Amino acid sequence: MPGMWWAVGAVVAVGLLSAYLVWTAGRVERLHDRAELAARALDAHLLRRAAAAAVLAERRYGVELYAAARIALDAHPDEREAAENDLTRQLRAVQLDPADPDCEAVIAASRRLALARQVHTDLVRDARAARGRPLVRLLRMGRGREWPRYFDIDDPTLTVPADVPTA
Amino acid sequence: MRIGIVCPYSFDVPGGVQNHVMDLAEALIALGHEVSVLAPADEDSPLPPYVVPAGRAVPLPYNGSVARIAFGPVSTARVRRWITRGEFDVLHVHEPLTLSLSLLAVLSARGPVVATFHTAITRSRALAAAQGVLQIVLERITARIAVSALARKVQVEHLDGGAVEIPNGVAVAKFADAEPLPGWPGECGPGTGGALGFLGRFTEPRKGFPVLRDAFVELAPRRPGLRLLVAGPGDRDDLYDQFPASLHDRVTFLGLVSEEDKARMLRSVHLYVAPNTGGESFGMILTEALAAGTTVVASDLDAFRRVLDGGRAGRLFPTGNPAALRDALAELLDDPGARAELTACGDQVVATFDWPVVARRVLEVYAAAIEATDGRVIDEEWVGLG
Repeated sequence: MPGMWWAVGAVVAVGLLSAYLVWTAGRVERLHDRAELAARALDAHLLRRAAAAAVLAERRYGVELYAAARIALDAHPDEREAAENDLTRQLRAVQLDPADPDCEAVIAASRRLALARQVHTDLVRDARAARGRPLVRLLRMGRGREWPRYFDIDDPTLTVPADVPTA
Repeated sequence: MRIGIVCPYSFDVPGGVQNHVMDLAEALIALGHEVSVLAPADEDSPLPPYVVPAGRAVPLPYNGSVARIAFGPVSTARVRRWITRGEFDVLHVHEPLTLSLSLLAVLSARGPVVATFHTAITRSRALAAAQGVLQIVLERITARIAVSALARKVQVEHLDGGAVEIPNGVAVAKFADAEPLPGWPGECGPGTGGALGFLGRFTEPRKGFPVLRDAFVELAPRRPGLRLLVAGPGDRDDLYDQFPASLHDRVTFLGLVSEEDKARMLRSVHLYVAPNTGGESFGMILTEALAAGTTVVASDLDAFRRVLDGGRAGRLFPTGNPAALRDALAELLDDPGARAELTACGDQVVATFDWPVVARRVLEVYAAAIEATDGRVIDEEWVGLG
């Protein structure tokens, strides 16, 4: 009875397709969750760096660095990337002494921020790639959630002057 | 922190990745963390206490050499059991894109997953073709580490993602405290004596042994007492056939050496020579020679220049030029002051490669991965079904 095999085949195909769809929907959700968590971690590290820079500016280096740190802390979301880049530039302009605990705090915060930025960029890319797939768009999976946004800033790593004697 | 590390290759065979995993695990334990390493190995093989064997590995040709790996349903079950029992705060897999325990672990786990990429696979068609499958693996990784600038470049260009560059560590103390071989390095004065070292497969063209041989053959007759110490895999006769008979008693061949003997060998020479003509992604051996306090003379390759701080921590010579190497060797053997200056700089360079320092940087990546994920590493139905 060839008709029966057609029916069995169709049931199997529908089963596989729905399993795939369920899996894909779960994947899109999971990637969005991760991108959101990474964004929260990135936010925390941006605040931590700006706070450390403000503390340092109060003790040394003065007004310009303090202003940059304050602007970064208070920036409107649209202006935040520019404000953070400005703070990075200000920090690069001053001579940081790794032996000083306040300087070391800024250097460490910048290093952690660089890691958080790296992780965030990767996870946002993964989430956007999954969201952009044709089937995902067609079935409007992940609707009701915003597209994860990149946070586009320069690498905030501070290069510490090497304490190697110059020959 | 509870840390689960997965090593893809068997500890029965020595190798760069295995050494890296063991040194990292020991450094993390020394910093007060709980570490469990899952690696392919027989139940009854002698292993460090922190290693959990995942069963026998089978040999498989990979990337030009033979890797011993474990893969299949039994391995999968063991990986999942290890993840469930471990209750890890972070899972750290090495080389997750090889068919191995690492790949199984990435597919079985959910939570903070850090991956370290060792090989610098340049432009691979297989890589491009399998992009869709790779994406499923890669998107389960929270943070990526590359051990060299080249490995990082592969990440950025072919795997569509960034990676934090953290160099291979060196167990500095192991090298600095090693005992030189009896009778080495011997005398070294103006115009006389001196010991040179080479480590690696001398038949492999990229290791550049002929460059060193030519320099040695020219220099030795002019410099009585100059000796050459060679270690690495290869046939004794193949090595001696490359030298005129009059110089045979001045070349010593150690064959393949253990990690311990490698340290002793590096301490036994005045100059360690790395005449490589290409293909080195990091130059691990250079950091080891620096850790041993031996002056390094190396070809002017990007990777070497970076390790040697642009030539301040070791002498660079134009790649593949025996005459330039000969002159550099003669000059440095005659000048203990210049050697001391280079090794002093080398000490500072190597301090940044010391395992406790490197392990702290790895811990920062763990922290970043944990912040970007919810909760612990949990076992999960395969490839996220359910």
